[in-house]
Amino acid sequence: MSAVPETLPALAERADAAYLDFVEGFREYILGKGADFEDRLNEALLAEQARRGQPWGEVEQIREYVHSLPLGRLRDRLSRTQQEMKWFALRRSFEAQRAALLAELERYDTRGPGRLELDPNFVHPPYVNVHFHLQPGGYYKDALSGYLYHYGTKVFFRGDNDHDELHSKLVARVPAPVDGRVERVLDLACSIGQSSTAFHRRFPSAEVTGIDYSAPMLRVAHRRAVMLGDEVTFAQRLIEKTGYADGQFDITFAFIVFHELPLRIIHETVREAARVTRRGGIFAIYDFTGTRDKSPYQRYHRWFDARHNGEPYSQDFCDCDMNAILAANGFEVAVAPLGQRSGGAGYMTNWFATRV
Amino acid sequence: MSELTQQTPEGGTPIADENPVYLKDPVLDATVRMVVELAAQVWIERERRITLESLLEAQGTLSRAAIESFKPDAAQAAALKRERARFIEDVFKELRRIPPKP
Repeated sequence: MSAVPETLPALAERADAAYLDFVEGFREYILGKGADFEDRLNEALLAEQARRGQPWGEVEQIREYVHSLPLGRLRDRLSRTQQEMKWFALRRSFEAQRAALLAELERYDTRGPGRLELDPNFVHPPYVNVHFHLQPGGYYKDALSGYLYHYGTKVFFRGDNDHDELHSKLVARVPAPVDGRVERVLDLACSIGQSSTAFHRRFPSAEVTGIDYSAPMLRVAHRRAVMLGDEVTFAQRLIEKTGYADGQFDITFAFIVFHELPLRIIHETVREAARVTRRGGIFAIYDFTGTRDKSPYQRYHRWFDARHNGEPYSQDFCDCDMNAILAANGFEVAVAPLGQRSGGAGYMTNWFATRV
Repeated sequence: MSELTQQTPEGGTPIADENPVYLKDPVLDATVRMVVELAAQVWIERERRITLESLLEAQGTLSRAAIESFKPDAAQAAALKRERARFIEDVFKELRRIPPKP
């Protein structure tokens, strides 16, 4: 029996949990070997490529071919449906207990350890007004966005991250600076703070700060950290303009953030990370693999995700040269491609960059 | 369009409409959604039944025959009707998403 406190928000009814349990299993089935869409569609794409005698060009070509296949269209329908079902059930369940959930957040806002720093004058830039992953209201427009995100990502990770296992694993992989000094860690776009608390556990004497533009996310992040007994500061700030001092952090971390930023903000964020990370410090990124490393199906999946799963910026991110952007901003880059179960092997990459 | 549903992405890949049609016929799309929804509802019921039967058996409080011969009273019948309406809405709400003109 685990001694870890349960930080997932409670659902209104047992039936809601069973419904979401079904969605989690169904998601596993259609993304994995159950329906076996990925391998079968990729084989069809490779066979068509061989027939045409040349590699696939623009993703539009791939899209046209996938959409000519009934299997491809059905795969799209089911992918969209499982995502819609998840949000439908979560919204209904949380709506039924809205007042109680808000009261709970209020109770935690001022408790310690750690603290919550919300900016009452915060202005959301227009580019963040996107319903990422089809989450109703996006990340910040509903006071319960953090709860929706927490349970939503539990389903997304298909049981692999129920107690932050993925975040802990990724944080454990981040190399410490060569001189070993880790006094301050910055978690960029920390959402509900799962990496932030993992950093606090790895470096208990370091000050860990998580920043995000979403107040509802930060409130849930703070509630989680308090429940877990982890001392972390959560602050409402923009990652491209943090307001922290030059060289203030020994490690700066970005977990699946960059693919949710327009190219302009990607450049600004890397520049800002270079400014706030001290020389010899580490900037660690975990995000989507670049387009050039992907199979035809993976390229299609990325396009679908961009257009049909509320990820408008992800295609541009995958097409950009992240190594070059990091290098241009004073980072020495080591890249470690990783397999990851969510979405299949080869979808995710680690960048470990040293500020020089 | 309410503030909650409006989006303002800065460039990137255009976001699909709220109700995309994937199967070239909105009726087919709705049919597939209803099948998946039905599977979810079946799982909810099965999970609950397994839970209940396990608890009842462990406590020795109820026989299968008692379940088979159960007759709801008026309040229970009304509650069942409400549950039935929710079940039908969950599965068949897809019908409202079929546009009058494809």
